[in-house]
This record gives sequence, C-alpha cells and structure tokens, in this order.
Amino acid sequence: MLDVARAAVDAARAAGAGFADARVVAIESESLTVRNQEMEGIDRSSSQGLGIRVLLDGYWGFAATARLGEGEIHRTAELATRIAKAASRLPREPVTLAAVEPATGRYQTPMQQDPFTVPLEEKIALLMEATRRVQAVEGVTFAEGGIDLFRSRSWFASSEGSAIEQTIVHSGAGIDATAIGDGEMQRRSYPNAFRGHIAAAGWEHIAKLGLVEEAERTGTQAVELLSAHECPSEVTTLVLDSGQVELQIHESIGHAVELDRVLGMEEAYAGSSFVTPDDRGSLRFASALVSITADATLPGGLGTFGWDDEGVPAQRFPVIENGMFENFISSRETASVLGLPSTGAMRADGWQSLPLVRMTNISIEPREGTLADIIGDTKDGVFMATNRSWSIDDRRMNFQFGCEIAWRIRDGKLTQMYRNPNYTGITPEFWGRCDAVGGREDWTLWGTPNCGKGQPTQTARVGHGCAPARFRDVQVGVRA
Amino acid sequence: MPGTIGPDQVRRVADAALGIGGADGVEVLFMHSWGGLTRFASSAIHQSTWSEDTDIRVRVVKDGRIGVASANGFTPEESRAAAESAREIAGVAAPDPLFPGLAPPAPIEATDRLDEAIASASPEQRAETVADVVGRCEGLEAAGAYETSAMEMAVANSEGQFAWAPWTLASLSAVAKSQGGGTGFAETFATTLGDVDASGVGERAARKARSSDEPRDLDPGAYTVVLEPAAVSTLVGFMAFIGFGGRALLEGRSCLSGKNGQRVAAPTVSIYDDATSPLTIGSPFDFEGVPRRRVELIREGIFLDGVYDLRTAKQTGKEPTGHALPAPNPEGPFPLNLFMEPGDATLEEMIAATERGVLVTRFHYSNIVHEVESTITGMTRDGTFAIEDGEIAHPIKNLRFTQSILEALTNTTMIGRETELASEFFFSSSRVPALRIEGFHFTGRSDH
Repeated sequence: MLDVARAAVDAARAAGAGFADARVVAIESESLTVRNQEMEGIDRSSSQGLGIRVLLDGYWGFAATARLGEGEIHRTAELATRIAKAASRLPREPVTLAAVEPATGRYQTPMQQDPFTVPLEEKIALLMEATRRVQAVEGVTFAEGGIDLFRSRSWFASSEGSAIEQTIVHSGAGIDATAIGDGEMQRRSYPNAFRGHIAAAGWEHIAKLGLVEEAERTGTQAVELLSAHECPSEVTTLVLDSGQVELQIHESIGHAVELDRVLGMEEAYAGSSFVTPDDRGSLRFASALVSITADATLPGGLGTFGWDDEGVPAQRFPVIENGMFENFISSRETASVLGLPSTGAMRADGWQSLPLVRMTNISIEPREGTLADIIGDTKDGVFMATNRSWSIDDRRMNFQFGCEIAWRIRDGKLTQMYRNPNYTGITPEFWGRCDAVGGREDWTLWGTPNCGKGQPTQTARVGHGCAPARFRDVQVGVRA
Repeated sequence: MPGTIGPDQVRRVADAALGIGGADGVEVLFMHSWGGLTRFASSAIHQSTWSEDTDIRVRVVKDGRIGVASANGFTPEESRAAAESAREIAGVAAPDPLFPGLAPPAPIEATDRLDEAIASASPEQRAETVADVVGRCEGLEAAGAYETSAMEMAVANSEGQFAWAPWTLASLSAVAKSQGGGTGFAETFATTLGDVDASGVGERAARKARSSDEPRDLDPGAYTVVLEPAAVSTLVGFMAFIGFGGRALLEGRSCLSGKNGQRVAAPTVSIYDDATSPLTIGSPFDFEGVPRRRVELIREGIFLDGVYDLRTAKQTGKEPTGHALPAPNPEGPFPLNLFMEPGDATLEEMIAATERGVLVTRFHYSNIVHEVESTITGMTRDGTFAIEDGEIAHPIKNLRFTQSILEALTNTTMIGRETELASEFFFSSSRVPALRIEGFHFTGRSDH
C-alpha cells in the first residue's frame, strides 16, 4: 500500500502540486454489546481508502476515495489539486510548513495478545458474566457491557520523501448499571463512563480490567443513587477522581491549547480559545501544582503513535509547567505561523479526513498521595466521580460538568452520597484553585475515543493520564 | 464527480450478500456518499475537502442469532465477504429472543430529492459561494463552511424488500467577527443549489456581528427569551435523543415515559416527525427498509406517542413507524425529520412583547444534565442580546443555560410564523420556528 500512497503523491505533483502527501488507511473495528443477558449486537466493520493532501501556491486541497485503482488515484490527485486552485479565489497569506526531516520507518502498538484473534465466545462470556453480576443486584433495571476493538493500518508518503507504515491497536471494555424509579434514572459505570477504559494495547488490557470483580459494586451504587440526596448547591471544596480529571483536562486544557483553534481556524464550529499566541511562557493557566504534559510516546495511550499524519515524529513536551502555559499542540502549518517546529499533533480519523491538530496524550503530572490521602486531608467538601455530562463555551472558559456520583467529605471521610452532582467554573480560575494533585499510585492513563472536531466532523482517539485532584471554592450543584 | 450507482447495480451488489446460504435471513444496507466541503476562516479558504465512500452493512440471522458486519466497497465480492463475516458472527452470538424478523416487502413512496447541481457541485462553485459570503462581511472576519453532499441509500433483504433513494443537501454557515468582540451567525440548508442564499447568509452574519460589538454583562437568572430557529433546533433535537424514541419510552428512560395523553407543553406546541414532507431531507424508508410514516409526537401540547422500529413495535404491540437506525442499534428508534408547527408571530412581535429578556441566535455545545427531567445545559453564542421594553437594547456576553426542555415548551408563549431547516448531521434535520419562552434559566456567564 505504500506504493499506492507514493503513486498518489506522484500524481499530485504531476498535476501541479508543490507539496503533496498521501495516506492509505485501513481501519477494522469490532464492537460487542450485551444488555440484560441478551446480545445487543456484534458489529465488525472495515473501511479502506486513500486521502491526498496538496499545497498549490500556498493553498490547501484534499480529496479522498475508497476506490484504489490507478485511474482513480490520478483522478483524486487531480481533484485535490483543483480544490487547492479553487481555494485561491480568496487571497490569503500562503501556507508555509515548519520543516521536518523526511521520515522512513514502521510503528506498531506494543501488545501481548491481538484482541481480534480472541474468540468471540470468550468475549461474549466475559460480558455475560460481568453483566449477570450487575443484574443480580436487586433494583438494577439494566446491566450493560461492551467491548470495543480498533485497528488502524496506515501507509504515509510525502513529496518530501517520507515513507511510513503504522499499525495502531486499541482495546477497551466496560460495564454499567442503570436503576430507574420514582422519576429518577441513575447510572454507574466501571471502569469509566462511555464504554469503559480503552487503551493502546491488546486483549491483556481487557483481561486486567476486573469487570467481573467490580460488577456488584457498580450495580449497588446505581441502586443507592436512586434514593440519595440531590447534590446541594453551594460553593465548596471539590475533589475529583481521576476519571473526571480526564474530562476536565480534555475540555478545558487540551482543546484550549490546540494551535489551530488559537489561530481561529475552528472559529465557526468548535470555536476558538481564550489562550493567545503571545501567552507562551507568560499566562498563569493554573496553580503551581499543575503541570500538564503532551506525550505521544506514552505506552498505552490512545494518542500514542510513531509519527503524526504529517510524518512528524511523536514527541513529549510540557504544555503547562508549574501552572505556567508553555507550549501549544500544533501542526506544521500552525507552528510555522509562530515560527516554531511542529509538536507533531496532526491527525485524521481515517483516510477520508483531512488531518487536524488533535490532542495526543495530554496528562497531568502526578504529585503526591493517593485519592484517600486527598480526601483524608479535606475537612469539608464534595467528592465527585465518573463523568456524566460536559459542556463548555466556544473559547473554553465557562464550563459545566456533571458526574455520576458524589459524596460529602466531612473531617476527611466520605459520608453522605449525593446524586446528580455537577459543578461549574471559569477555566483559569478553576485550575488556579487546584491545591492537591494525587501521586503515581492513583494516576491512570484513560482513553477518550470520541473527541469531535472539524468539518466534516472527525472523531479522534486521544489519551489523558490523570490523578485525582482537589479544587477550592467551586460552585457545585447547579440547578435549573 | 461521481453520480449515483443506481438501483439496478445496487441490487446486484446486495444480491451477492443475500445469496450466501447458510442463513435464515439476510439484510443489506447500502450507503454511497460523496461531496465536498469548503471551509473558511479569517475570510480565506483554509480547508477544502472532497470524498467518496460507501458502506455495505450486512445483517445475518441464523437460528435466532444475529451478526452484523460492514465494509466499504462497491462490488458484489465485497458485499458477499461482509455477509460471510456477519454469518460467522451469527454462528457464535447468543440468541436474540426479541429479534422481530426482517422487514416485509412494502412499497416505498418515491421522493425526488436528488438535485444534480448539488451532487455535481464543483470546488470552484463552492469557492465562489464562499467568496460571496465573505464579500458581505466587509470590515469583519468571516469563518464558516459550505458543504454540498449527496447520498444514495438502499435496503435489500431476504424477505423480498428492496428500497432505494438518493438525496442531496447543501449547507452554508457563517460566523462574522468584529474588532469589537461582536460575532454573528447565520446558516442555511437547501435541497437545491439554486436556493443557497449566500448573500443572505453573509449579510445576516455581518449584521449580527456589527450589532453585537462591545457586549455587556447580564446577571444570570430566569428571563423571557426569544430563541431564533437555530437555538430552537437544539431544544427540539435533544428531544429526539431523550424523549421520542420508542425504546427509551418503553424502558422508562425517556422524559416522556408514561406520559402518553398528558400535557407536556403549551397548547400551541405541536411537534411531529415526517420524512415524507417535501420540506425535509433524507430517505423515505428507515435503515431496516420500513417506509417512514408521519408520526404526531406532541399535538397541541399533549404527548401522543413516540417512534418505533420493528423491535420496539413487536415489544409494544404497535406498528413500526419506520425509524430504525442501522443495525446493531442499542439506542433504539430515532426521529430524524422533526417539525415544530409554526405559529403566527414575527420575530419582531416576539421582541416587542418582551419587557425584559434575552434574544438568542444559537446555542453551543449543549449536553444532557438529567434525561428524565429533560434538562440540558449549554452556552449562547454568536449574537446574544438584551431585550428591554420591547426592543433590542444592547449585546450581552454569552450566558450558560440549564433548562428543562419540557418546561421551556410549557412556558412557550409565542411561536414564529416562519420555520427554518437545521441539520446537525447528514441524516437528521429539524424544521422549527422561533419561540418566545418565559422563565428560561440562565445559570452562568462567560467573558465574551
């Protein structure tokens, strides 16, 4: 398939492109869902095609096709070039690309057991047993479990001489319990909401999740939530588990430091950012306890790869260091605007999509102590766990996030359970009030496989390494 | 540019899957899509794309067990391979006692929704349209997207059902931004290329941006709001997710579960789903091949019923309404062509009737807070104004709302006489008017 990508690049150059790159991508996925001891579905999908990106006189063009015959490759390359020509209808500063050394090589997600080779019977049996135990809890209305597997093989070539082959494998699974009664519906998930915990790994990741072992607790908490008190509305100390810190980082930090958003390239749809190009090294984004790292080399992360979709090698660099904003996540084009090298974050969700600046693994650096230590050190406050709802404004400032469950913290102990907890804040104020970040013991590298951005909308798979954290003076319990 | 493959060739592709043998039933869902999107920011075209793809999704039934496999291909061989994969899955899947069977043969009402001009729109045409929008935003920065999309979809099954339909859609949106921090949004959806009013979109976005310069703070609280159609489409669209689906209703997850025949909205509010209307987009049959029917969801404020696919129809003893999503579908049936009936007010009359309130152009990044209570949260964006003494007083910084949709529909006091089509993604749409709603809850604000 590398030959197809090279042929596409050659065809684009022959059609007049000054620069071209091409990706042949073949994606396979397998998804199983069990609900109340019935198969909701087993779905196996595959998609393969070619995407060609060209620069002509400083204007971009992109075209993609599922047809890989020679004639179609040429037609698609010519169309990409024609699209670039059409873009010059509105004059602009020509696009320039930050320099990158042409790369040649292969990358494969390290794994012990190819999840696609595990018999379906074994996968079904795991989900059936885990959900049987959830459903055995009296009061559980629905017990659901799912397994999701993903494999992407890509072949990248560029007119600068790059030739890269990569195979990325992601595996994940989760269970959830739903209890319905008295006009309420409550859900608990394990290990995380929205299909569980997904990682760049093989079946060994799913085997270690402990779905069966955690099933009863998951069901019990869903039922208990039905009769729990509503989370009170107050300004208080908020402790978040690492799963909710994942969402907090994703929405209020990860998207805010995407350089394409900062430069206005997503203005009309996903929005822009409160962070400006001049803020590097001068914006206090968070308290001194907060250091955020982008790391596309992190084992197990959904944002881990060998090279991004521009052939830029995977990198690790600080985004926020001791509370100060340091670096954007960027592409060759956006980095060039600031006169910087690309940080290697340009990714597409398939052959049919134009690469965009996407998060890699955006993680909080662990500090000290466990979740229990943080709670033990809190006199009064609310502990919230597991994301349920998220909303943030178009500049990533005002957010309101909901969680599945919460407890009152009194004198260092979890006491009363609360249902329907949520909290709201303004991004730099909220992060500025962070006064505790947990240590390595409770730090988890979560996967976010559903990050939407771009037009046509793309769904990126990104990672967030997260520890529990504490925030002071937060408005919780927002009601209509 | 490609055109439709056409029903005859699609049937040949599907027949290769239907004929695999060793199965009690086979269903093929074939989708072929193509189109271009020209994206602009800072008043220049910065991303332009075009793609063509297919999806051959095969569902195989074997001894009461179901397997689904899909691949993107164009040939009978690829269709057959997907079917064999689905058959293999069905061989090991657990039995599905609720499987209702495949759709029986039924006639499909022909629709004429393929506009050749949209299907073959060129990058030069899209660029020219974008230039028209940008040209109307003089002195402002313009951003947005212009997409021309085409789709043909077919369902064939071993019961003898065969349905095929093509359609097209052109969508144009723009956000204009002023130096003074004002932003303005406008969009249009058209089923024929000639109806794309680029000048109108550009002028509306520019006018809003200019008039929303230097926005002021407004304290959160309960206000009377005038929601333009784009904002109303968010409320109505979320009702599709949390209200009208037959499975959610059946399982008690819907905010309308158990409320059939009850008042859930103001007497002036009527919402229905109708894929057969010429005023909407999409296919006249669902993803199981069942003809879509018009379904009255809320009539004069009373909730009547939701939408049903074959499975939920069997479970409830009702007739399927033609609202299945592609298999496998744990979410259940879903209305994709919602309408809210217009009233008799103009936007100006709604504003004039408001002593103190907020005019909202659109919402941003809304999400569910509490499904059963139909509560969602989100932000205003790109044109939010204070109304004082019946007039637009001044622009305001964006507000966060946290609001029950059913409560908002109950507190609806005026309904616009014009409706606009909005589409969050290619398969779904809603056509809604502007609304005036009392007691709408704003719970926070942003800095811009």
